[in-house]
Amino acid sequence: MTDRTLDLFTEAPPAQRVADSPSEANAPPAPRVWTVRQINRASRLLLEESLPRLWVGGEVTNFRRQRSGHCYFTLKDEAAQLRCVMFRRDAARLPADPDEGMTLRVFGGLTLYEARGVFQLIVSKLETESEGGMWKLAFDRLRARLDTEGLTDPGRKRPLPAFPGTVGIVTSPTSAALRDIVAVIARRAPWLRVVVRGTRVQGVGAGEEIAAAVSMLARVPGVDVVVVARGGGSIEDLWGFNEEAVARAVALSPVPVVSGVGHETDVTICDLVADLRAATPSAAAETVAPDRQWVAKRLDAMGQRLGRGLARQVRSRRWWLDQLGDSLFRRGRRRVQASRDRLDAARLQMAAAVRARIRRDGGRLSEAAAALDALSPLSTLARGYAVPLDRDGKLLRRTGDFPRGRDFRLRVLDGYVPCAATGRPVEAAANAAKQTTGDDRGK
Amino acid sequence: MANDVGLDARLKRIEEIVAALDSDTLDLDEALALFEEGVAHLGQAREMLARTELRVEELIGPEGDAVGEMRVGDDEGTGGRDDG
Repeated sequence: MTDRTLDLFTEAPPAQRVADSPSEANAPPAPRVWTVRQINRASRLLLEESLPRLWVGGEVTNFRRQRSGHCYFTLKDEAAQLRCVMFRRDAARLPADPDEGMTLRVFGGLTLYEARGVFQLIVSKLETESEGGMWKLAFDRLRARLDTEGLTDPGRKRPLPAFPGTVGIVTSPTSAALRDIVAVIARRAPWLRVVVRGTRVQGVGAGEEIAAAVSMLARVPGVDVVVVARGGGSIEDLWGFNEEAVARAVALSPVPVVSGVGHETDVTICDLVADLRAATPSAAAETVAPDRQWVAKRLDAMGQRLGRGLARQVRSRRWWLDQLGDSLFRRGRRRVQASRDRLDAARLQMAAAVRARIRRDGGRLSEAAAALDALSPLSTLARGYAVPLDRDGKLLRRTGDFPRGRDFRLRVLDGYVPCAATGRPVEAAANAAKQTTGDDRGK
Repeated sequence: MANDVGLDARLKRIEEIVAALDSDTLDLDEALALFEEGVAHLGQAREMLARTELRVEELIGPEGDAVGEMRVGDDEGTGGRDDG
């Protein structure tokens, strides 16, 4: 031990040395005096070299986290105390500060802080004896706080849009999770627009990045829903999704957020605050991407309802016309009994009225019927379109192509129909105006 | 409505139209106009559904203000940077 100790002092020779010369051998040896610096250095090296890094168990007291990020605390048992320091680099990975009096085990190396002569343990890992360790402690604490604030309340959960236009995704840009999500959306709903904000999803600072990404995406115009995703991993790997910043960003998001973090059994704070928790990234993608077949069926059903709606309108007009006609005749008969002369006039009037009505609304009915046919999945001709052709097979398109008396043929679905233009053509746009003035002139 | 109208907005509009067609207060011109509008929405929605290629964009820059086209392929191998 003596030799070893001396080895430690190579850079610091004693202040006075016993002289080699025999003539001075009899003089009383001067005491060897060390500087404080030397002795602290020697002690530190002794400590560091003679004890390996080790686990120490005890009760924690006076845990303080400095603004610098370093943590200082004391570990004690019934008989002794040990000063401990955990530097920022390691302390930053600590999910929570331990409670006063909590039983801990810490891993680290013993040393002496030379400047103060203080004996201390430099801690690199800190764990609790309880199940789940510091992670569970931090999780439970944050969850309790969020529960109190109501952020995990099921009543806060917003429904996802059934037919989103744009989906925002927060995940690692090179991850399998992203590839899975994109594959699911491409298969189910390739018409969607997907906007990705890539982040780190583990390690110190991942939580802040994830939180910032959620806020960014929610602000992108058009984004209807945001997916936060990561594949499976250890609780330490998933820790970013358990950070308060993520919980806040998800809660504040103006659009619904789906969380698909880890595997089936992993539950994170992000999952609890999100509007929907999916078991995996792929499952999350399925919740935001409506299936193409389903949407197509939905559209077909809508088309049928539209058709039925219009048919109903048309039916109610027909019924109304019938009623009108009947009542006009009935009234007419009553008047016949009062005045035979007026009967003829009335009969003429009502006949004319009904004819006019039928002429007017009958046109509308055929238009309605044609519009209904447009829904039918038959070919163009089968939809009821007919193509007028002249004798040479040339297309006739405009009113000018139909002088009075002209013969032409109509091409319909299964053949040709001979036709003739029996009146003067009327241009469609000017239709209404011309009719009015024409009627006036006719009187 | 323009072509960039989302599926959701179109379906909502069609729902409104169907509800209107079920009411008795429309006159025939209105009913026809609504019906035609509904049919147009259906057509546009079907066109949208026929799209086959998924568009993926990436928000880039520290503030995420820029948008870039993103390729998410199988050619990047399995296991990403930090395997998310």
